[in-house]
Amino acid sequence: MQKRTGTGACVLWVAVVAGLVLSAGCGKDADSGKVIRVTRNIGGREGFRLHFKAWQEAFERDNPGWKIELIDLGNQNGDEFYKARIATGDLPEVVMTWQLTPMLVKGNHLVPLDEAYYGKFGIPLPRKYKGRYYTTQGGIQVQGIAVNRKMWADVGITTPPQTWDEFVAGLAKLKAKGHRPLVLGGREWSAFQPLFYAIATNMYDRDPSPDKPSWTIRRNRAEVRFATDPTARLILEKMIHLLDNFVEKGAASDGYNEEQRIFYGGKGATWMMGCWIAGDVEANQVDFEIDYWPIPSMTGRKPVLITCSVPQSGWAMTTSATGEKRAKARAFLECFYDPEVYQLFLNGEGQFAAASKVPVKGPRSAWEPAQRLFDNIQRTMDEYGTTPGFHIALDDMPPPILFSNTMKAVMQEMLAGTRDVDRLLKMLDDDWDSALKGM
Amino acid sequence: MGNASTFGRRGWPASLILCGPAVVLYGTFVVLPAVLGFAYSLTDWTGWTADPNFVGLDNFRELAGDERFAAAIRFTLSETWMIVAFFTFGSLVLAVLLDRLRSVKGIVRGLFFYPYVLSILVAALLFKYLCNYNHGAINLLLRSVGLGEWAQDWMMDPRWVGYFIFAMVGWSAAGFFTTLYLANLQTIPTELYEAASLDGAGPLSVFTRIQLPMLVPTVTTNLVLATIFGINLFGQIVVTTEGGPGYRTATVGYYIYWLGVKNNRQGYASAVSFTVFIALVAVAIVQVALLRRRQVQL
Repeated sequence: MQKRTGTGACVLWVAVVAGLVLSAGCGKDADSGKVIRVTRNIGGREGFRLHFKAWQEAFERDNPGWKIELIDLGNQNGDEFYKARIATGDLPEVVMTWQLTPMLVKGNHLVPLDEAYYGKFGIPLPRKYKGRYYTTQGGIQVQGIAVNRKMWADVGITTPPQTWDEFVAGLAKLKAKGHRPLVLGGREWSAFQPLFYAIATNMYDRDPSPDKPSWTIRRNRAEVRFATDPTARLILEKMIHLLDNFVEKGAASDGYNEEQRIFYGGKGATWMMGCWIAGDVEANQVDFEIDYWPIPSMTGRKPVLITCSVPQSGWAMTTSATGEKRAKARAFLECFYDPEVYQLFLNGEGQFAAASKVPVKGPRSAWEPAQRLFDNIQRTMDEYGTTPGFHIALDDMPPPILFSNTMKAVMQEMLAGTRDVDRLLKMLDDDWDSALKGM
Repeated sequence: MGNASTFGRRGWPASLILCGPAVVLYGTFVVLPAVLGFAYSLTDWTGWTADPNFVGLDNFRELAGDERFAAAIRFTLSETWMIVAFFTFGSLVLAVLLDRLRSVKGIVRGLFFYPYVLSILVAALLFKYLCNYNHGAINLLLRSVGLGEWAQDWMMDPRWVGYFIFAMVGWSAAGFFTTLYLANLQTIPTELYEAASLDGAGPLSVFTRIQLPMLVPTVTTNLVLATIFGINLFGQIVVTTEGGPGYRTATVGYYIYWLGVKNNRQGYASAVSFTVFIALVAVAIVQVALLRRRQVQL
């Protein structure tokens, strides 16, 4: 009986294994090798989706038989996904890099681009990273303050406040008039925006010189620390005041989507968020006027927008693309500057053209409030200018965890009632020190 | 004995075939990663490169002074304590009460077990929406019955967030632990109840003199499983609080993830992971030894 059982089990296992072996690859079609996989953080953003679809169609039109496979990373950046794929040796052929370019380059996962690529489209050369270029240079992403013009006008303010104290005084007037002065959610990454704005515009040089070490470089050399920098202390004190007085109870459990709903729903006067929000104005049928203001200084400087276009951040080819696939990956990056595709990119992110040889001008929208916001951002940039904020180049960038996690955690601590500034400064320093070991 | 020896001598191909796949899978996906994890704990591997540098015991030295690791342990233990108490004793009471039901027994048991069928992510998302301060169902309900002042930020207020996580885990898995007790209750011979009834024993006496002693093996099982449940808290944290507010709800599991995945410190995360593994093995050995001794005494 046992012998029969053993034989039966043996036959069963052999059958299962044979079945698995025979079925392996059954799902693949004959052309599965002619696919370029591309990552993008579309999530629920209609503007991003439209852009990617056009990009995909342009490539597939020009490269018959080849397909683009979208890997949508939702609202996340790619770091978890990329590390998992690196571990399995299966990084997509084209990836969005965000601030991850240094890590991807150090691991030899990116293929450099030559200057001819940039010259072809008239794109200003990005700062080199370790002497090489890697990414598309899509446009100029800027960060400032979106305001509901009608609400601010209701308290007599129609032009950007020139100092942080003026800005806060305006928020106080809004509050007194019964408006929700500031939209801020505490649960997700977006909680860090006000702190990021303050650090980037008050602790870093507005017009940095590559010859002069930035705060980041000096911090990495342990010449400065948050705990001993009076500006850092001032920033945290002003953040505590901001959260104490202008953020409603319960905001800590809201995330980016709730922030968007409140602001676009006309229920909040001010939202400290990047220009990409402009790409959602039409999709959300926002019908009121939004102004885009520069970030007021806490240290007596002129207000300014933060530009994120200095470091290399965009799409890059990976070393997974070999042979013909590398040529096609490169072709895909060139399709990015197809005029129709590029226009949709600018529209989707509310960005401004940086490619002079592509016949496209600024973001365009048939939805009037969206176009007015685009024009408003352009005017603000022209009048107040931009600063690179944290960095001169990618080599000069703070550890990425500082953006996505630490500043959010510090803001959450303040929302939770922590008033011990020393403890908050220590959180920033501890995370910086720890993160340096992972850089 | 004859069967065993037959199996031992001639049945080895069958045992190899029956156990082999499981052993291979366990070795590949549990034992090997654990061994590799220890190897990585001696490096500064970031996860982005293929060539980690050997750093000896540096990671373990850093761990000794890591305040955030200590905070993660404290929070994990505080959650584990609540979870163990509830799953071990709360589920026991629940099981005894359910066992006494005379009608709709199956439906009620099914309702209790149902949340356990849901994935951790679904349960966590559900709680995230239930507990949002402005739009969550709990606060909307409180406001609708005029108790708006009781509305709280259940998920991000440091005073409540520990209970929020406990409630989420408790709701999800109470059915599982209760079912284990119920299964054990079905094995208690009816003669014991009949004898107790003839002796005039009340429900409390039946519970303390018959049911509880007979349930001790399951208490042991549930205690160990609940401890593992508490120590392993991770998915719920990722989906809901992401360790916040600040780092206050970072469990040990979440801290390891934060270090390794978010902070690019796979080597150090491996050191934390290995240290926790050793500590848990020690706890499990002590726990099981103590409980077995207690079972024998009973």
